[in-house]
Amino acid sequence: MTRQVSRSEVDRLGKRGSYRLGGLGPVGGVRPAPPRPFKPSFPRPRHHGSISGWILTAAAATILIAGAAVIGVWFMPLIVGIVTGVATRQGGWRLRVSVPAVTIIAAAGWGLGLWLSALKGLPVGATARTIAVVAGLPAGALLPVAITLAVSAAQSLAGLWLGRALAPRPPWD
Amino acid sequence: MVPWSGRWWLVRRAGNGAAAACATAAVLVACAAGYHGLPALGPVLDPGSGAWASASGGLTPKSQVLQVPGLTGAAAISFDPHGIPTINATSVPDAMVALGYLHARFRLTQMDLQRRLAEGRLSQFVGPAGIRSDIFELRLGLLRTARREWAAMPKTSAAAGLLTAYSTGVNDYLAQLRSSGQWPAVFSLAGVYPARWTPVDSLAVQGGMAQALDYSTVPLDYSLLSRALGIRRTMRWLPVSAAAQDVYDPGPYRALGVTPLAGAWAGAGAAGARAAGSGGTGANTTAVPKKALAGSAVTASRSVARAAAAALAAATALPVAKAGGEGAGAAWALNGPKVAGGGSMLASVAPVAEPLRSAWYQVAISAPGFDVAGVSLPGLPGVMIGHNAHVAWSLGGTQDQSALYYVERTSPSRPGRYFWRGRWRSMRQVRYTIPVRRGRTRHLTVDLTVHGPVLTRVGRTVSVDWMGNRGSPDVAVLARIAAAGNFTQFTAALAGWRSPALTFAYADDSGNIAAVTAGYYPVVRRGAPWMLMPGTGADDMAGVIPFAALPRSFDPPGHVIVVAGQRPVTTAYPYYIGTTLSGRDFSDSAGRASALLARRSRLLPPDLAALQASHSDAVAATLSPSLLAALRRATLTPIEQQAASVLRGWNHSLDGQSAAAGIWAAVWPAYLSATFGPWWHAAAGLAARSRRVGLSGQLAGLGLARALERWTLADPSNPAFTPPGKPSRTAASVMRAAFGAAVARLRARLGGAPASWSLDRVASWTTASAPSAALLPVLGPYATGQNPSSDQLWRPGPARDAGLLEGLAGQTWRMIVSLRIGQATPAGRGSIWAEGIYPGGQSENPASRWYANLTGRWRNGGYLPMAPAGAEAAGRIRWVLFP
Repeated sequence: MTRQVSRSEVDRLGKRGSYRLGGLGPVGGVRPAPPRPFKPSFPRPRHHGSISGWILTAAAATILIAGAAVIGVWFMPLIVGIVTGVATRQGGWRLRVSVPAVTIIAAAGWGLGLWLSALKGLPVGATARTIAVVAGLPAGALLPVAITLAVSAAQSLAGLWLGRALAPRPPWD
Repeated sequence: MVPWSGRWWLVRRAGNGAAAACATAAVLVACAAGYHGLPALGPVLDPGSGAWASASGGLTPKSQVLQVPGLTGAAAISFDPHGIPTINATSVPDAMVALGYLHARFRLTQMDLQRRLAEGRLSQFVGPAGIRSDIFELRLGLLRTARREWAAMPKTSAAAGLLTAYSTGVNDYLAQLRSSGQWPAVFSLAGVYPARWTPVDSLAVQGGMAQALDYSTVPLDYSLLSRALGIRRTMRWLPVSAAAQDVYDPGPYRALGVTPLAGAWAGAGAAGARAAGSGGTGANTTAVPKKALAGSAVTASRSVARAAAAALAAATALPVAKAGGEGAGAAWALNGPKVAGGGSMLASVAPVAEPLRSAWYQVAISAPGFDVAGVSLPGLPGVMIGHNAHVAWSLGGTQDQSALYYVERTSPSRPGRYFWRGRWRSMRQVRYTIPVRRGRTRHLTVDLTVHGPVLTRVGRTVSVDWMGNRGSPDVAVLARIAAAGNFTQFTAALAGWRSPALTFAYADDSGNIAAVTAGYYPVVRRGAPWMLMPGTGADDMAGVIPFAALPRSFDPPGHVIVVAGQRPVTTAYPYYIGTTLSGRDFSDSAGRASALLARRSRLLPPDLAALQASHSDAVAATLSPSLLAALRRATLTPIEQQAASVLRGWNHSLDGQSAAAGIWAAVWPAYLSATFGPWWHAAAGLAARSRRVGLSGQLAGLGLARALERWTLADPSNPAFTPPGKPSRTAASVMRAAFGAAVARLRARLGGAPASWSLDRVASWTTASAPSAALLPVLGPYATGQNPSSDQLWRPGPARDAGLLEGLAGQTWRMIVSLRIGQATPAGRGSIWAEGIYPGGQSENPASRWYANLTGRWRNGGYLPMAPAGAEAAGRIRWVLFP
């Protein structure tokens, strides 16, 4: 039931001491929760850790993917993607940064593996052409390499999505 | 109570999580297991393993020490700059271990493909596209024969030892691959890896070779032709015997009766042979009097024609050139005044009727009592063509008929039974399971009669008695040949050869030359073996022509022997060796070579090299003047005039870049089709399906081509040019029409500039240098080739249809061996100089330096010196192998 408001209290609005007014709500009712603070997007979110640390971590992930490929652990891009998804969620990185980052990490990882093979003198280009012809693709080295990098990237992107979905909501979010 | 905004956030989060999990699962499935033709992309495309690991196979080998557990002693392999190895071993079995290791190292895909083709396991690798091939091979029985041969082979015999040692070497390399994971790309992409190699696999590969070189479908062809054209016209066009060209055995001939088949390898025909008895003179039972036709062949009724068409369709649906012996190769042996400086020379071009052009693997092997250099066939131990310290040999196709076809008498009231020798008998059944990659497993039941496997029940029940199903100790024979020191030892070794029927050309360091035909030539007690015969028993095989009675030539007075798949004997020969449809000298290369060599003397190896490199086509040289004469009298369109002028300046050489050769490659099959096609299409006696099959078989440049050539020159008004009910035609009018049709087709395919219609473009054929890997797209249908711009693939075209591949691609391994009667040495040896070449390279890995390094030299007519037999391993790259 609403308390009766006297006219004198209405006249006092805007005058000194009017801060005491406020009892115009329902008597005995639950006070509504205060509104959520508005967080505009233009300010830079607070990232945990330094930028250089993130970059070094990305480089380490690339090397990890490349090293895992050498020993036949082909699913490392997926694992890296999951970890990246959790980390970027906690770290406050938005999708428009984490998606390209994890794509580059994964592609660079397998690309690094191919490059290391080429450095060792293995005929990677000719092998790529062979793979293309055997697989029924247009004869050329570019497409098999592109598909290889795309498979790695696809794994990492799926892992990123899963990691972000599974990661707990950060306290500031 | 959770506010609405909180609940909605939970729903969103849960949904997002579920979607992420599904996406991740989908990616994992695609990467780990593959889907519908796609391989498991993760392990396959992993840069450190999978298909990329095959790059290691593309590295040029380095000198190294290798452990090969199957060896009993140390061995050494050295490679020359072209990748040709020399094996030095302390025993022959160790040499075979090393050879098996080499074959697996450089040709594993080829070996696995060949055994899959032969054993009916192709669809396990390529999917549903290979089912028809598997069904045919399992029906025909290469695998059954291989298993039976191995089971019957004494395990202490030399051949068993060679096969076992060879398998050990292959498996030692496979073990290395399994631990390293560096498989050839094709296996990684298919997700199917080679199983262990066994002697049965080698024997199956041997059977596949026999099938490719010598599986005859002549009776099926005659049945279809008889149905379409009538028996009289068929025998007039394609007589059993005709005036033979350039025989290498002019006689006199000996009728030595019949050798009955015996032993466990006699197969299904053994019972028939024993029941029919042996003896009788070959002259009386196998000469071909016209009266033998009456009542002794199965009348070519509609049902018989349907059965013949079905059986022919099954055989011709195989991978390219797998069945039928396309191309015969050629060999010229010279001695005496024909050779400058005396001695003897052997020049040969050897066929490989395989989908894989560079099927040969060149090698030199040295072991105690075994010094040989030449080419081997991956999958088989030993050297097939080459030379040792005293003799040189080559092999090539010959006119023969390796298969007899029987129409079994069956009854709907007696399923699974057939009538033979007076009573009904049960067919033996063998069941197979055909695993199909990415497809449903098929089950096949093969019926076997006393004659052999039932090929078809369409229309009638037809079985085949193929000589290749009787097994053949080829490995043992080749090993004995490799150790032969003279003609006596050489022929003694060949006496054991059964299949495929081949002619072996020979030269030795005593100045002798020879040609010896070896193999099983079936002899029937009565009947017309070139037709389908009744399977009730009276027409069964009585035996084979005795080895001593087979065509042979030794030191002929003319000092020249030319072997090119032609009929080797005159019509006086007392045995049946096939008909004019069985010959394999499509372009009269025997006659051409004989005429050339007869005019010359004191020849040197470069002279023979020039002859080998010549791609001049005798048929074109003979008939193109007639064509041009016909065109001169005709009214031509502008583009036809351009094409005709291109032809006028032609030297009849089938060079890949020649536009005239390309035009001829289209005109010749068009001429064949224009002449015989109307007869075929108008044939009332053939069902449409039979007609389609027969057309592709008959007009593929076989016996009808020679008849057409003869009529064009000597009988241009032959009734064959005028089908029934059509206006009268002559050779000239048919040629004119064929020329117009060919030009129209070329214009539609290649554009309006006749000068650009090179043979390479017309034939859709490029230098085929890939032995195996790139010929097998695993994600697409099994095809004989794709991407004409690639230098790795090959597919047939009109050139093949016209039999023109003889000049272009049928000749693969080229070899010239000069054997001088040198100064007497303590070892009593003469001197041997040899060179050889084939298009391709020793490695099947396209990334290897040794993949196509020999192709350019081959195309330019060049050769490489062959290591002397018994030479020490002297190449820079050395492998030391230890147990």
